[in-house]
Amino acid sequence: MGLFDKLAGWLGLKKKEVNVICLGLDNSGKTTIINQLKPSNAQAQDIVPTIGFSIEKFKTSSLSFTVFDMSGQGRYRNLWEHYYKEGQAIIFVIDSSDKLRMVVAKEELDTLLNHPDIKHRRIPILFFANKMDLRDALSSVKVSQLLCLENIKDKPWHICASNAVQGEGLQEGVDWLQDQIRTMRT
Amino acid sequence: MSSVPVEMKDGAVSSSKWLDAHYDPVANLYTFSSCVTLADLHGDGENKLVVGDLGTGAGNMKLKVYRGTGLLSENTLLDLPTGLVSFLMDQHEPRTPAIAVASGPFIYIYKNLRPYFKFTLPTLEINPLEQDVWNQARGDMIDPMTLKEMLEGIRDKADIPLSVRTLRFLMLEPQEMESYVNLHKEQPIRRQTVITCIATLKKNMADDDAVSCLVIGTESQDVYILDPEAFTILSKMSLPSVPTLMDVTGQFDIEFRIIVACRNGNIYILRRDSQKPKYCIELSSHPVGLVRMGKNVVVGCAQETMQSFTQKGKKLWTTYLPAPVTTMALLDLPTRGFQAVLVALANCEVHVYRDKNLVSTIKTQDVVTSICFGRYGREDGTLIMTTKGGGLIVKILKRTAVFDDRDSISGPPVAQSIRLNVPKKTKLYVDQTMRERENAVAMHRAFQMDLSRLRLAAARAYVKALESSLTPMSASLTEPLKMNAVVQGLGPSFKLTLNIQNTAACRPVMNLAISFLYDENLYSMRTAFFKIPLLVPGLNYPIDTFVECLSDKGISDIIKVFVLKEGKSTPLLTAHINMPVSEGLALN
Ligand SMILES: Nc1nc2c(ncn2[C@@H]2O[C@H](COP(=O)(O)OP(=O)(O)O)[C@@H](O)[C@H]2O)c(=O)[nH]1
Ligand SMILES: [Mg+2]
Repeated sequence: MGLFDKLAGWLGLKKKEVNVICLGLDNSGKTTIINQLKPSNAQAQDIVPTIGFSIEKFKTSSLSFTVFDMSGQGRYRNLWEHYYKEGQAIIFVIDSSDKLRMVVAKEELDTLLNHPDIKHRRIPILFFANKMDLRDALSSVKVSQLLCLENIKDKPWHICASNAVQGEGLQEGVDWLQDQIRTMRT
Repeated sequence: MSSVPVEMKDGAVSSSKWLDAHYDPVANLYTFSSCVTLADLHGDGENKLVVGDLGTGAGNMKLKVYRGTGLLSENTLLDLPTGLVSFLMDQHEPRTPAIAVASGPFIYIYKNLRPYFKFTLPTLEINPLEQDVWNQARGDMIDPMTLKEMLEGIRDKADIPLSVRTLRFLMLEPQEMESYVNLHKEQPIRRQTVITCIATLKKNMADDDAVSCLVIGTESQDVYILDPEAFTILSKMSLPSVPTLMDVTGQFDIEFRIIVACRNGNIYILRRDSQKPKYCIELSSHPVGLVRMGKNVVVGCAQETMQSFTQKGKKLWTTYLPAPVTTMALLDLPTRGFQAVLVALANCEVHVYRDKNLVSTIKTQDVVTSICFGRYGREDGTLIMTTKGGGLIVKILKRTAVFDDRDSISGPPVAQSIRLNVPKKTKLYVDQTMRERENAVAMHRAFQMDLSRLRLAAARAYVKALESSLTPMSASLTEPLKMNAVVQGLGPSFKLTLNIQNTAACRPVMNLAISFLYDENLYSMRTAFFKIPLLVPGLNYPIDTFVECLSDKGISDIIKVFVLKEGKSTPLLTAHINMPVSEGLALN
């Protein structure tokens, strides 16, 4: 740790570091969301489907995020669980216009919640009901019903409708997540 | 940090291998597997469901496209579709597939869901005699009656079948003939056939996005291969019967195989450079579904069986199904290296078979008439089914699903292949076998004789018991009763308890009475006849009565109990109670 960092830590200026895992089916908008959360000078213009995963680091006013952007394609979904241990928060992205695959999203969420590395931890989960701008998108209430979110009793969770392309709804979610992380004992 | 166990209602991992993605019982989709396909119509990586809907009754035939759970577009079809395929016609960008819908003698090609081209099957050869006769009619050399007679003569011994025009003419009433002849005589005669099945064949590359030819089977027992761009006939092959189901592999320019199930109950295998089928598989009943698994063919037959053959016609196995097959499809998951056969049955089940082993059963709400498995939307393992009642069912194979052969009960159990430690044969055993071998006939006879005697004796006893209602169980269907009796006491007073039970499932029994028959010199009873209350099914009714023994000679007798039904002369039940000797009298 550099001297400057130490100084900043003593003065309370040092930002808390958190690992956030970003999960969701392919094409739900994970990479787009993370790209939006980055400072504008670091944003990528074209977003291509993620292969395997990619790691993004960025800072907000109070936290320093390390985000694992996991590929949502079926064949990569078994990689997710290897990152659960490191994760201190989860962002779960749902394409709210993909009604057909809502069951698949639910299945993956249930598998996540029942994983030994997640099951007994009070880890905050932020849900983005993304692509709310599309005509046939379901409301965030409907999405949370279909995913049975009311059954998550022992973890703080929050759902926001979002439009990742325009950046709408993202700030609300990230604010909630920051509050949760700040109140967490480490 | 506090940790509370996750308590979730739906958290328990369900054992099903399928996720229920969508079910619409009133989707109004009436179709068969041959008219359903999945294709990336818009080139956006999201597969659409394309259905040739046969509608109900006449009309309502539609080309429907679904995206996810919703209907994206509808085009009216002019005639009933018999088959539908998607294929890439050319190398132009964007590489979006075209849809070919076969109906009647035509193939309608749609590009970007707009009608693009109509292909018509070549006309068939005309019977020259028929042509002659019509030429005479055109020259007004013969009247309609003569025309009819001549055509009828030709019809009965024609090698080349007559045209539809002639056949229709032969059905007309005499007064309609003249106008019909005048209407048609100027036009040339045409003989058309219709398409019975359609498939695709890669032109010269094996890639997923390679250009494909259309392969069509016709009612005239031919198979045609069409060029994808010019729609010219590249090849024509003849079959001994009408093709109904078809599977095509390979590439047209290199080597290909067409497996065709025909209406005569045979399967033929056509290859490049052979105008006639190379191999033939004769089935014991008609094929209703055809799936190719690698190099083998799996056929669903009308007699509730499924059979597998090599492409050279060698039979590999047969499996018996619990109900008739309605349709079949291949379950292919290349990413997981898994292949299986999906068989829809008339008992509202879809079975998944790996070889002859049943690995999964899906129950459906209605009989499935079409199955399509593949990538739908962005999900690779999607199973799409339509039902007899017009419903649409979409299921998605779980990412974690594993098909275990041992899940199934069919097939030989593992224990069968374990060798047993059989002891050596003893001398006694050998002698015994010798004796059995030498006296087999006599032993068999003796055994049969004893068996017959035993049966006779049993039957006699049974008849006797029935005739005299001697059994403690009533044989009557309307009053199924059970009774037992208990005698208590030392004498001379005895307590007699009769336990009566109505063994019917739910019907009460009424109007019963009990009467006793005994030697009046020996016993006396306060009441020798009384009525029984209504008997509720299943309950035990203990009925007590008292018997006085009158003799002090140490003798005893039988008391007969009859359960009687009002208005019936024979008793329902009879019980004989062996009374004990009265010991109590000595005390007096
Ligand atoms: N209309 C709309 N499109 C979105 C939204 N978010 C993402 N997309 C698009 O969805 C596609 C997939 O996004 P991507 O971030 O690669 O998804 P990932 O697979 O979850 O990482 C891209 O074409 C995005 O432009 C949204 O909120 N609205
Ligand atoms: Mg991505």
